[in-house]
Amino acid sequence: MTFKLPAIDYLALAPMLVLFGAACAGVLVDALVPREWRYHVQVPLSLVALLASGGFVVALANRKEHVVTAGSAVVIDGPGLFLQGSIVVLGIVALFLVAERRLEPGGAFVAQAAVVAGSEADRKQMRKPGVTEVYPMMLFALAGMMLFCSANDLLTMFVALEVFSLPLYLLCALARRRRLLSQEAAVKYFLLGAFASAFFLYGVAMIYGYAGKVDFRGINEAVLGSSNSKTLLLIGLAMLAIGLLFKVAAVPFHVWTPDVYQGAPTPITAFMAACTKVAAFGGLLRVLYVAFERSSWDFRPTLGVIAAATMIVGAVLAVTQTDIKRLLAYSSVANAGYLLTGTLSMNRDGLKYTMFYLVAYGFTVLAAFAIVMLVRDSDGEATHLARWAGLGRRSPVFASLFTFLMLAFAGIPLTSGFTAKFGVFAAAVGGNMTWLVIIGVLSSMILAFPYLRVVVLMWLSVPGDDTPTVSVPGAFTAAALFVGVAMTLVLGVAPNQALELVNDAGAFLR
Amino acid sequence: MNLAESPKLEDFGHDVWWIILIKVVGIFAFLVVMTLFTIWYERKVVGRMQHRPGPNRVGPIGLLQSLADGLKLAFKEDIMPKLADKAVFFIAPVISTVCAFTAFSIMPLGGMVSIFGERTPLQLTDLPVAVLLVLACGGLGIYGIVLGGWASGSTYPLLGGLRSAAQMISYEVAMGLSIVAVFMTAGSMSTSEIVAAQANGSQQEIFGSTVTLPGWYFLMLLPSFLIYFISAVGETNRAPFDLPEAESELVGGFHTEYSSLKFALFFLAEYINMVTVSALCTTLFLGGWRAPAPITTWWAGANEGWWPLLWFTVKVLILLFVFVWLRGTLPRLRYDQFMRFGWKVLVPINLVWILLVAGVRVAANADNTVRYAIYGGFAVLLVGIIMFWPAKKQVEPASIAPEKLPEGSFPIPPMDLVVPPSPRTKRIEHAAAAPSATPEQGE
Amino acid sequence: MSTVLALAGEVTTGEAATFYILAPIALIGAIGMVWARNAVHSALFLVLTMLSLGVFYILQAGPFIGMVQIIVYTGAIMMLFLFVLMLIGRDASDSLIETLRGQRTVALLLGIGFAGLLCTGLGRAVGSMTSVGLDEANAAGNTQGIARDLFTKYVFAFEVTSALLITAAVGAMLLAHVEKVKAEKVTQLEMMRARFAPGNYPAPKPGPGVFAATNSVAAPGLLPDRTVAGRSLSALVPTRELTEAEAAPKGTEK
Repeated sequence: MTFKLPAIDYLALAPMLVLFGAACAGVLVDALVPREWRYHVQVPLSLVALLASGGFVVALANRKEHVVTAGSAVVIDGPGLFLQGSIVVLGIVALFLVAERRLEPGGAFVAQAAVVAGSEADRKQMRKPGVTEVYPMMLFALAGMMLFCSANDLLTMFVALEVFSLPLYLLCALARRRRLLSQEAAVKYFLLGAFASAFFLYGVAMIYGYAGKVDFRGINEAVLGSSNSKTLLLIGLAMLAIGLLFKVAAVPFHVWTPDVYQGAPTPITAFMAACTKVAAFGGLLRVLYVAFERSSWDFRPTLGVIAAATMIVGAVLAVTQTDIKRLLAYSSVANAGYLLTGTLSMNRDGLKYTMFYLVAYGFTVLAAFAIVMLVRDSDGEATHLARWAGLGRRSPVFASLFTFLMLAFAGIPLTSGFTAKFGVFAAAVGGNMTWLVIIGVLSSMILAFPYLRVVVLMWLSVPGDDTPTVSVPGAFTAAALFVGVAMTLVLGVAPNQALELVNDAGAFLR
Repeated sequence: MNLAESPKLEDFGHDVWWIILIKVVGIFAFLVVMTLFTIWYERKVVGRMQHRPGPNRVGPIGLLQSLADGLKLAFKEDIMPKLADKAVFFIAPVISTVCAFTAFSIMPLGGMVSIFGERTPLQLTDLPVAVLLVLACGGLGIYGIVLGGWASGSTYPLLGGLRSAAQMISYEVAMGLSIVAVFMTAGSMSTSEIVAAQANGSQQEIFGSTVTLPGWYFLMLLPSFLIYFISAVGETNRAPFDLPEAESELVGGFHTEYSSLKFALFFLAEYINMVTVSALCTTLFLGGWRAPAPITTWWAGANEGWWPLLWFTVKVLILLFVFVWLRGTLPRLRYDQFMRFGWKVLVPINLVWILLVAGVRVAANADNTVRYAIYGGFAVLLVGIIMFWPAKKQVEPASIAPEKLPEGSFPIPPMDLVVPPSPRTKRIEHAAAAPSATPEQGE
Repeated sequence: MSTVLALAGEVTTGEAATFYILAPIALIGAIGMVWARNAVHSALFLVLTMLSLGVFYILQAGPFIGMVQIIVYTGAIMMLFLFVLMLIGRDASDSLIETLRGQRTVALLLGIGFAGLLCTGLGRAVGSMTSVGLDEANAAGNTQGIARDLFTKYVFAFEVTSALLITAAVGAMLLAHVEKVKAEKVTQLEMMRARFAPGNYPAPKPGPGVFAATNSVAAPGLLPDRTVAGRSLSALVPTRELTEAEAAPKGTEK
């Protein structure tokens, strides 16, 4: 029995292949290069790989040729390329945060994660340089995310889901300080993530039972013309949605978010908040818009309720938080709700503005976590909100920047948050989801309260003895902070170029 | 050699019920007799290696010794330890034995034969994935040992069980990988087809010249064969890899608390497993039931009818002899050495070898550019391995020169202590010095 | 192969019989896994279920996937599970303290509800379906069919899986491997020196109860002059005064 390998358009796959290759090379670097050199090899390697990958994305975008390749497993189309590009750019900024070693000797990552937390050996390794395996892990995750956005069948999508989840579980466990919290976060994320993956896979099986195919075009055709009972489709879609909604942290699948965001090393939290969100929504958009568009009558009410719940629960719980990382976690849950609102409008504008929102939110959240990394005392980051009181007088520059970011989160005009929120709400109104928009606006009002509380706390309180200092950022963090804030401003003041870009991306290829 | 009498996959699954029954009972009897024989054989061979006669009391040349031992074992008291987990303790030896017997169902003992007028293959059944069945049975058989160790509620068996769990999983990886090369060469996972594939040497074109490669895979796939056999020894818990039951460390290992028939079942399973891995080795690498080459040239009928059963058994017995030989020769490995050997030597070599076999097979059918690319890749790989081969560090020999011990140390004898000659030697020498005396007189 | 591999659309007696024997066993295994108090029993029940599933796959004309299920899941993964459970110890059963009040009841109700929903849904959906495509999929043999799908349609997913495996391997090493510093390694020679160094007693310690009337761990060993041998005392076990009866020499003739 002979069969031929399907034609593979290597240029179309190049953005991912570069990252996979660089990640493998990174693993080899960790195996072969002496310890003191590893950091200095890994960071440039990862950076060059990401830049090359971004270059390929741009080249593909200029080629303007949308292809389905590798035996219809991967589709390279406008939205896919846009999402891939944003993952790469956000990934570079996140890499800056990960590579930061000025704030703390050895960086934010533990030297040896296997050493028992709190033991003598753990105290000894406190000042040793952190593990360098984080860079290949991050590259694997990024490559998986890119594949997740451009997979053309559910099986490839599942593999991509695992490829980007597994490194994230690991990265969560590698914090240098508060290691038990970090490990707990990793275990929680891993267990719940494994459950979600199981649901996803079960959904794939059901949909295969219904459609007899797992590729999106085949499913789309089956939704239109299959004579099989629709129950199977609905069960499958529900399970699939559970898997995807877990990754985007929608209520009621959000419970992992605060714990994981709090426990994970802050650069990784930023990475997850920005890039995972893009990937998860990229996947969700593709599944809903390409495969199940024709059954949107079935899922819009249910997912609408979930979106509404996500916005309200995220906003209300954010009010009660006393830890800045948990606050940002609940804010990310609420933002998932707004993104879902955009997604559910199921029209061209919905796709466009959801993608715009993803990018805008990604930059803002990266910058916000960059500042969280800077506010520290002798025990590491000071994340309790009470400690932030009076920070405005200690360090007006960073407090102003953070205020600006908070305003962006709250959706005040002249920030990217306003443009993005306005866009998705407008799209949702166009898609007959006005009730969701009303809930969205209401929850935005609630959500503005915790943001403004932080602002008030920083500026109107008197700094006490235990008010932490704001460290001088190293070059990496400064760059990340600058890019994040600048993009938040640019996308708010002059969003036209970016909107043009999303507009040019067009629709998904079926 | 004609392939006509080789059974095909389609020949299986059509037997009448009584033929199946005969085959099942036949295989059962074959395995039990082989076990009894192997125990005697092992004791006899080890005995000869140690310059003693071995069992020679019961039956002609001690042949019935193991039967007598077995009967005695059955009548011993069955002890259930107080702390044992009763259900698991009972079921563990049963799992071991059942898996051991099941694995043999796909062994091809011969070609097509006629049993009471029915033409049927001399093999209980065959599957497209038959070899995987043996691996699956091997994998499940471990449960017997591990659970037996755990359920005994005692320390040594638990340690034995833990060791065997780690050991068998590690060596199953090596074993499974070593078979992959056979699958790739034979193009099948069915045992009967693998035997058929070894019937004739294949014509292979290497670097432009046609070469007839030997049929039996043990020559063509020598690394696979060696790795298979080594891991088979590990998989069956035999010396020098018998760590789960290392007498000097763990009393009896996992079966310390077992007695009577339950112990007998473990014993039976262990020997059946030995026979099974030898039979699989015969099937995969030694041409299965086919007669060795010189015999078939002057006797064409060697592969017909019931004769193959003889060749098969002889091959299995030769392999069993190697098992015994290893046991009689090699000391037991330390546990960490053993695991390191499995994971850092057997598995990597296996992977590189599989890559090599796959490359050669692809190159044979590819056009020239691909072929040169493959061979070039191998050359680069080879150079890379040679260049990056970790140099063995020179360990300076530990000095045993007398050192100045700190005050208050425990007194130790000097390292270069010379044992004084025994008084008896002195007497003998003395007697030899006297011209007229013989040694007897000196006593 | 007709007895082993079912043809599409028809169910032979043997297939039906095997199914009806194994289906309850698989269910019992699944329920027993949740129910069993002892973690090892739980794992064993799971093995039972997986084994039955493996046979089901074989029955449904997927011998390769069935065998792989048995080798990989029952043979390797569950074995590693057992390995860990045995390391933890045989008495490690779950503590039944609920950190969230009423959580078990809610979980049970939700679980049953979910299962009910799924079963009725599936029952309705599958009942009206006709199965298609088995013969085409297995046309060139089951293993070959899987190979064809893996290396044509899903070749990219297959290759990307290697990234998953590398991640898993690196992750396991990251989370479990502690690098030994060269200086911390004690050589045989150093151990020997330390053994005979001043202040250390090179011979084995006397066991408890040596030269004493009892061999209880709690009783200290006595030296020939009936004084207590200090080295025989364990730091973990408190010593115990022997009663008169215990201390008296025990005759074996009674």
